[in-house]
Amino acid sequence: MEKTKLDGLLSLNELQLSEDETASVLGAFEFMEGQEKIMDGINTENVEVMVHVMPMENVLREDVREQPFTREALLEGAPEHTEDSWQVPRLVK
Amino acid sequence: MKEYITKIGSGDLAVDDTLLTKGVETTAGSKILSGFVPLFSAEAVERAVKAGYTVSGKTNVGEFGLDLVGEFSNYNDGDEVLRGAAAELIAKGEVKGALEVDLNGAPRRAATLSGTDFIKPTYGTVSRYGIIPCACSGEQVGAAAANAAETKKLLAAVAGHDGKDGTSLPAEAYDYSCGKEPAGMKAGIITQLFELASEETKAVIKGYAEKLKALGVSVEEVSVEEIAAAQSAWQILMAAETCNNVSRYDGVKFGYRTPNYKNIDELYIGSRTEGMNLLTKTTVLYGSDVLSKGRYFTCYDKALKVRRVVAERFGELFKTYDLLLAPACGKTEYKKYDITRAFETVYGESVFTAVPNLIGIPAMVTKGVQLMAGHFEEKTLFKIAESAEGTDK
Amino acid sequence: MKYEIVIGLETHVELNTRSKIFCACGGHSSHGEPNDCVCPACCGMPGMLPVTNKRVVELAVMAGLMLNCEINRYTTFDKKSYYYPDLPCAYQVTQWFHPICTNGLVEVQTKNGTAKIGIKQIHMEEDAGKLVHDDWSDTTLVDFNRTSVPLIEIVSRPDFRSAEEVLAYLEKLKAMFRFANISECEEGAMRCDVNISIRPEGSTELGVRTEIKNMSSLSSIERAIKYETARHMDAIERQTEVLVQETRRWDDIKGKTFSMRNKETAADYRYFPDPNIMPIVIDDEWLEKIKADMPASPEEKAAEYRALGVSDKEIELLISKRNLCDLFDELLMKGCNVQDIVSWILTECAGVLRKKGQVLDELSIPAEKLARIIAMTASNEVTRGAGRKILVAVLDDDVDPDKFCEENNLAAQGDESLINDVVKKVIEENPGAVNDYLGGKTKAFQALFGGCMKQLRGNGDPAIIRAQLENELAKLS
Repeated sequence: MEKTKLDGLLSLNELQLSEDETASVLGAFEFMEGQEKIMDGINTENVEVMVHVMPMENVLREDVREQPFTREALLEGAPEHTEDSWQVPRLVK
Repeated sequence: MKEYITKIGSGDLAVDDTLLTKGVETTAGSKILSGFVPLFSAEAVERAVKAGYTVSGKTNVGEFGLDLVGEFSNYNDGDEVLRGAAAELIAKGEVKGALEVDLNGAPRRAATLSGTDFIKPTYGTVSRYGIIPCACSGEQVGAAAANAAETKKLLAAVAGHDGKDGTSLPAEAYDYSCGKEPAGMKAGIITQLFELASEETKAVIKGYAEKLKALGVSVEEVSVEEIAAAQSAWQILMAAETCNNVSRYDGVKFGYRTPNYKNIDELYIGSRTEGMNLLTKTTVLYGSDVLSKGRYFTCYDKALKVRRVVAERFGELFKTYDLLLAPACGKTEYKKYDITRAFETVYGESVFTAVPNLIGIPAMVTKGVQLMAGHFEEKTLFKIAESAEGTDK
Repeated sequence: MKYEIVIGLETHVELNTRSKIFCACGGHSSHGEPNDCVCPACCGMPGMLPVTNKRVVELAVMAGLMLNCEINRYTTFDKKSYYYPDLPCAYQVTQWFHPICTNGLVEVQTKNGTAKIGIKQIHMEEDAGKLVHDDWSDTTLVDFNRTSVPLIEIVSRPDFRSAEEVLAYLEKLKAMFRFANISECEEGAMRCDVNISIRPEGSTELGVRTEIKNMSSLSSIERAIKYETARHMDAIERQTEVLVQETRRWDDIKGKTFSMRNKETAADYRYFPDPNIMPIVIDDEWLEKIKADMPASPEEKAAEYRALGVSDKEIELLISKRNLCDLFDELLMKGCNVQDIVSWILTECAGVLRKKGQVLDELSIPAEKLARIIAMTASNEVTRGAGRKILVAVLDDDVDPDKFCEENNLAAQGDESLINDVVKKVIEENPGAVNDYLGGKTKAFQALFGGCMKQLRGNGDPAIIRAQLENELAKLS
């Protein structure tokens, strides 16, 4: 795991690390590299992926509209908001 | 000093802070969620209340439930000897039961350390509506109590179909009281996990095996070569899903926002960097990596296939064995340690707990031992646990 | 050297449903008040879980059938991750591994002939929210009404060779989806990403491709394609710049495209299957049911109406809008005569709407009420003029036709002796017209008939008036 690749991951995830933390994370990646190799011991040729452990299909709902929550309640915990919207620093100048 | 619980009332049920409680701050142990007050309660909480439980308060969890037993939470700096909050309250008799989310074994480890019971049921039996999501494909709400009967009662109260959770299984309710008598059953001790454990832990497992034998259960060791691969696979899936689920915490909509920002990038980075601990960050970064273009097929896709192989292997095992025995922790006591070592430390312990999360089978901790059974065989686990308890008297 | 343009389109179409794709909130792109169609899931709060709206699947299948696609019987949802304030969970649920439809074909007509446009795939996904940049507070305001509104994304193959073909294709999709009620296709409800490159004619390799993101008006799309084509041509022929594969933004005011050098375009979206959403399996039974529920295409409707004897010009008007066809079909079911239906919709209703400054597209009338008006006039219970008065009242105030007729004394006068008196009076008062008629000017009959009707305040039974007038005039000849 190179530092540049880690920088890419930090950027994708909107995170920063201190120097000590960087060393810790790089160590974790190196450690996992070895752990991932254990999976090579399992033959998965012609094996389908298993996304859901308890398979079901067509879990669907009817097209019915409901509105049990109010805008005021949803906005109440926002760090910054106007009367009707969430607010962030201006994106386009 | 560790804060185990944030009191709500004088009830008999603790609810871990990964489950939403309407009108009561819920943070999953993370600073990033500080000040987040849910507008509804988790389905499991609603059902427990309907069944007559009253909520005592929110028990402290490690950030997003990712650590061993709650040692890295925004509420505390950790005691010398690590204990899980809900399990300790149960052990001390302060609450009758607790609802806890098991996404990587933390409640099972906590029950082991405190000598209490906890069951992570079959995936899809308890609604996940209203839990703070991390590893959606394998996390479940489980029930904790001081003994098997109370654990069974609490699980029965909360299990059953919920249309608000698209992965909820169709059965309206589950009868956990119809387990077969233990005599004539066959149990297997998973060699790979037994061998990894400390001598004290081995002694606990052996002691329990003797009790089972006394009940007429035949016990033997069984080698399951897929254990280490299953651990690796669950780490990959759990980390990727966690990365995806906690990406929503960004300081925009609710919870913590950094005071220091001039533009959206600084807002995002500042809030997330200040709001989450190193264990979560490492998990997020690793989870992001296993999904990236060059790595998806060798890593994530492979893990999804390993999951099927492991599920089939355990399916075969449960044709021979009614239940499997293993430790849930490698040792009988955890000591305080530094967060820079958390990722590897938790990974090391997750070998004992990963399989039930990976393939959705029920796993119960009782008397310091972890029992596993096939899907929907909670009744077998309860019967065994209750019978083994009976031999103590 | 001669060059050709190669264009591929990704077209996002908002589906016409009552609720969002994964939660029960209403809300569409055109919604008014910010954040009045949101729930905890729409604003990224933890706890709610997605449960897929069945109607979305059905509409996507319908769209696929209309575009001659293969319908994949096993289809799943995946998560796509990136950060932007309009994406509350920092992921979008879409279809990456198993989209619902693949391998379609659409034929479009332009003045240069027919172009065959391949459809690579159609997939279902959720829309993102909307951002409003507020000058007053110098902040950006986030509106999640559009979050999780259901979309289909139609990915074409790079088969377009001109802006004209692109426009014809989009017009065709709009007409089809509107007609089938799959989408309203209003402004903003259909958005396009245009992939464009230039290559020497005859070459099979693609040139450097740029993608122009997120355009919703046809005129912008046309202008952007023309601008981008010229920019590519300049770069190739006159080396004005070095083309790079990139994403660009169309600025409608400046009339130019601009490079988007932001993180989003360089992102690794890290797609993976959504563990919270079970696969969707479309078996034969369900597919047949969707097919059966699918409204006929405009072409099929036209053929149906032609067989009933409706003229081509009338057909063109009727099939311009689904609701007119639905009204026509309902009236037919209720036993109305085809010519009556055509004239009441296209002449009478259109006339009333025109006076109100509306167009026929906006017609909204309960079929049973219009059927009653048609029946009343056909049986001479009321005159056509009275029928028209009832129609106005129904369109304005949704009155009950029979009640309105009674309250306003509109029933046709069928009293033979009263009509006879009136007929005699009119003949007496109009010797000129009578003489004209008797002299062979048959048109004069109409004037006398009109005179009678006027005396009867428009409510005379026209059949009786006609018979008596003919009878009395015959006596004079």
